[in-house]
Amino acid sequence: MIDVARIDYWAANGSGRFHRASVLSKLLFVLCTVAAAIAAREPLPLAAGYAFLIVVAAASALPWRAIMLLSFYAAVFTLVYGFSLRARPAIYALLLLKAVTPACAVGMLITSTPYPRIFSFLSALLPEVLASGLFMTYRTLFILLDMMHQFATAIRIRGGFSPGNLVKNSASIAKGIGALLVRAVERSQRLFAVMSVRGYSGSMAGRAAGGLGRHDWLPLGAGGCMLALSLAWR
Amino acid sequence: MHIPDGILPAWLWISGFGLMAVFLAIALFRLRAMDRRRNIPLLGAVAAAMLVAMSLEILPLAYHLNLSVVAGILLGPSLGFTAAFIVNVMLALMGHGGITVIGLNTILLGTEAVLGHTFFFFLPVRMPVFWRAAVATVLALCAATLLLIAIVGISHVDSSLMEAGHEQVGSPVPPSAPERGSLVPFAVVVLSLGAIGWLIEGAITGAIIRFIARVKPDLLAHILHRQTCAGDAKRCPS
Repeated sequence: MIDVARIDYWAANGSGRFHRASVLSKLLFVLCTVAAAIAAREPLPLAAGYAFLIVVAAASALPWRAIMLLSFYAAVFTLVYGFSLRARPAIYALLLLKAVTPACAVGMLITSTPYPRIFSFLSALLPEVLASGLFMTYRTLFILLDMMHQFATAIRIRGGFSPGNLVKNSASIAKGIGALLVRAVERSQRLFAVMSVRGYSGSMAGRAAGGLGRHDWLPLGAGGCMLALSLAWR
Repeated sequence: MHIPDGILPAWLWISGFGLMAVFLAIALFRLRAMDRRRNIPLLGAVAAAMLVAMSLEILPLAYHLNLSVVAGILLGPSLGFTAAFIVNVMLALMGHGGITVIGLNTILLGTEAVLGHTFFFFLPVRMPVFWRAAVATVLALCAATLLLIAIVGISHVDSSLMEAGHEQVGSPVPPSAPERGSLVPFAVVVLSLGAIGWLIEGAITGAIIRFIARVKPDLLAHILHRQTCAGDAKRCPS
């Protein structure tokens, strides 16, 4: 299960070196790591790079165990993709590391940067509808997660959840999601009314591209090291 | 469909971004006259519901829902595709799916939304709402799965043949023929597991749409809905 609320808590409440860095530098760090994964042709530099990222995360007081777990999720599709290949073990290792290393960098980004700051940065690059849609989705997500949690508790208490009974569980989930959707739309309409009263006219405030600052040396340095390591090993 | 970064060749995911940009441009062009004040909150609500549904696992199969067809039916194809893009950006920012493959993932999820909407409207009106939505979902997911297999199949093509001698960057597979492997085992795994998923998603989507038709039928007669019916008022549920 995606624990967005916990990720948001880590992002909003940390004070490590990564938290103090700008959004731009952390996005550049992610891009450098993705480029390093794309450019890598051997598993060894990526394995070293992955270990390096975990050390940087731990040194920056980020939740490195959770980041590792999050990055392993990316390995699941890679395993399925592996069925389509007839390759040496080294190629499978390379594929897995190509998937988990950028996922680790993304984990470091999201556990050190609140989503609104990321969206605010992206808003400078995206059309209005998409930027506003991202903000609205983020805003509604936590309300719905809370409602879904209450629904799950209610359904367990009332005996609507039976491990192993697919039909019963599916029926319960369908009704829950249906009610959730109706509530979500009603809330969005109410939200629309409130925002209209406050002067909303179809565009969101808070577009900020931002710049680099003195706290950015760690993400920029880590990203540069990842890319250099991968390119030097080719 | 959470394709991670780094496993597909660069030319493929760059093409995915290009195609996604074209489809998004078409969707945004079609939405230029929409009532943003009303539809952006609706877009946010449905995209958030998709993300919440994706966080729910159906035991004992550990399958998670997409609700992309529900989004397509409720929002229409243009806003449905936009919701698919937003969901994929959010998923990439949660570490569920790669950044470089946002384009391809959006095309896959957006295909489900657009096809689900299209099938729902072209299935006979006399069919019960549950079955219309369920059949539309199964057909849309089947098409999206075939598209996924096609993308993986294309990723096995040696890009040097297409790029006429340019260096291939980012391919996970060295260009030796025996290692390029076969698509068949992948297709068998994806189609066999996927078929179970289509049925579950179809049943749940059918139940959700039937629930909405009973509890809040005006959602199915949304103004966007009418706009995307291309003037065929008889097909729009009222």
